[in-house]
Amino acid sequence: MTTRGRLAPVVAGALAAAAAYGSAFLPGGAPWWAPWAMVAGIALLSVGCMALGAARPGRGLGALWFPLGFTFVVLVLGFGLALALPGAEGPSTPLWAGLPARAALVLYGVGCLPALVLPLGYALSFRRMTLDAAALERIRAARSSPPADGGPDP
Amino acid sequence: MSALLIRQSAPLPTGSGPAILGMALLYAAVVAGIAIWAGRRTRTAKDFFVAGRGIGIWTLAIAAMAATLSGFAFIGGPGLLYTLGLGAMFIILPASLTNTMAAWVLAKRMRLLGELRGLITVPDAIGARYRSPAAQGLAGIAILVAIVGYMATNVLALGLVVDAVFGTGLPAGIWIGTAVVLAYSAVGGMLAGVYTDVFQGAVMALASVLAFGYAMGSGGGLSGISRTILAADPGFLGPWGKLTPLAALSFFFVFGMGALGQPHVVHKFYMLRDPLRLKWYPALMTAALMLTLLLYFGVGVAVKADVAAGTLAPLARADDATPQFLLHHTPLLLAGLVFSGVAAAIMSTVNSFLNIGAAVVTHDLPVALGRRLPAELFWGRLSTVAISVLAAIVAQLSGTLVAFLGIFGWGLFASTLVPALAVGLNWPGATRAGAIASILTGLVTTLGFETAAYFKVYAFPAGVTVSGLSLVLSLLAFLGVSALTPGQAAEIDPDVRLVMEA
Repeated sequence: MTTRGRLAPVVAGALAAAAAYGSAFLPGGAPWWAPWAMVAGIALLSVGCMALGAARPGRGLGALWFPLGFTFVVLVLGFGLALALPGAEGPSTPLWAGLPARAALVLYGVGCLPALVLPLGYALSFRRMTLDAAALERIRAARSSPPADGGPDP
Repeated sequence: MSALLIRQSAPLPTGSGPAILGMALLYAAVVAGIAIWAGRRTRTAKDFFVAGRGIGIWTLAIAAMAATLSGFAFIGGPGLLYTLGLGAMFIILPASLTNTMAAWVLAKRMRLLGELRGLITVPDAIGARYRSPAAQGLAGIAILVAIVGYMATNVLALGLVVDAVFGTGLPAGIWIGTAVVLAYSAVGGMLAGVYTDVFQGAVMALASVLAFGYAMGSGGGLSGISRTILAADPGFLGPWGKLTPLAALSFFFVFGMGALGQPHVVHKFYMLRDPLRLKWYPALMTAALMLTLLLYFGVGVAVKADVAAGTLAPLARADDATPQFLLHHTPLLLAGLVFSGVAAAIMSTVNSFLNIGAAVVTHDLPVALGRRLPAELFWGRLSTVAISVLAAIVAQLSGTLVAFLGIFGWGLFASTLVPALAVGLNWPGATRAGAIASILTGLVTTLGFETAAYFKVYAFPAGVTVSGLSLVLSLLAFLGVSALTPGQAAEIDPDVRLVMEA
């Protein structure tokens, strides 16, 4: 995928968030779809930025599609179900691990699941997708520019 | 989540007593010991501003966590949760993904650029990426403006903690707290800063985990707490709490994406000794952050359950949630540890602000003007003193003014730095004109909108936060102007391009 292609989710996410905020200025306040636009904006921007940072020229995302796709789905489903399901919290509401269902979806889903998957995806793909000793040596060989603090590091 | 969110403007309940006093003195002694050790090892500007680029991955992760969290995580946050219900959780929920996002987007590239070019500040990276002293200077100005507010709110909060523990009175508490942070910041610079941050981060995490355990125990576990709250106020445990869905999601948007533009945190990537160790940064940082945020959630819901059950009178001020919880449910020693945790959270954030503020004054602004100061270490120390004295003087002013100054800090960092830094380091199509346009848009909209809202010239619709709106406008300006100036996109130095493509 080209860099321009990888930027597409970031652009789409920024436009979706802009639409959500912009709609709140309409007479009568934010329409029903404004929170959905913000959910789309959050998911596209955050996952899009991660994909933009993770990908290297000439290579795809490889196995990183899984953690990034998983995070996108968790964000959309977690927030989406909280928006879509009826708000029926009350004294006899069944609890999921101590919380009402919609709150549990957001707190355990959005608040915890990416914390388990993303750092693992980053660590497992680090040498192949982020940095290895050979790439580091190539970069260190390129030192040439004027120093800002007394010279490049030894 | 951020220092700007400290709105603590009234005294905390006093915590004086031998146990709390002893804990506070022990804490101060350890900080002083680290400062003396680091001061002896600070010999160059690189030592002072980026800890000699010699810290390990555990130190980086814990120091970044300590700098990320201010006293808000211990005092303001639980109070906000008590008031807003689960809607307040949307400030901290992004912690599940922001650290990995920062690692992919910024960590490797900033660390490698820092080594390749000898960079020592965040605006340095912007200047190098766009070959633009103007963009570097503008980013420096934005950081400096935001720091004045951040510093004042934090120094005020620190004064309140000192007053609560030692009974000094607020004005003296502000000066004593400032003097302590200043002492280790000016002597040991970032070298002292990161190692005190590690100690402070450990205190914060321990205090949070223990307080969370007591919080869950106080209400019969989370299920018991939820049942008590649901019987009295079901809306509190709705997914958005007392907020509208758009307002809650707006919190998530601002604190999620905005995390990529917090200079006191991302600046620490320059300090890592071995970039290959970044592999474990997201796991360590995320675990440290989530453990330290347990108190925020636990105390917030436990106090709400206490009030709902009638075992605690409704709080007169939301910020009393943590002190009241400690008073009713924890041993005195834990209360002392939490007070130390609050002081630690504030001091670690203040120290980071002091360091990057001094770097702007002594490094970024002179570079933007085409000249270099001959002795950056000396001027760095002098600037640290000047900024902290200025912040202490501002903190003595009215609480309302200080709160106003603090409001725009997080938003200003986010709207001025996220597009040019986070997106720009990963998108070769970004241009100098786009970066300058986004930084200017962020500065003008954040300051303009916040001033309009503060003076009630204009009321923003429900669900719209100035920080979020400014961030979106700045992103659109960055993308739009870059698209309109494609000729500049090729103007990337070969070594910078190599890092961007690495």
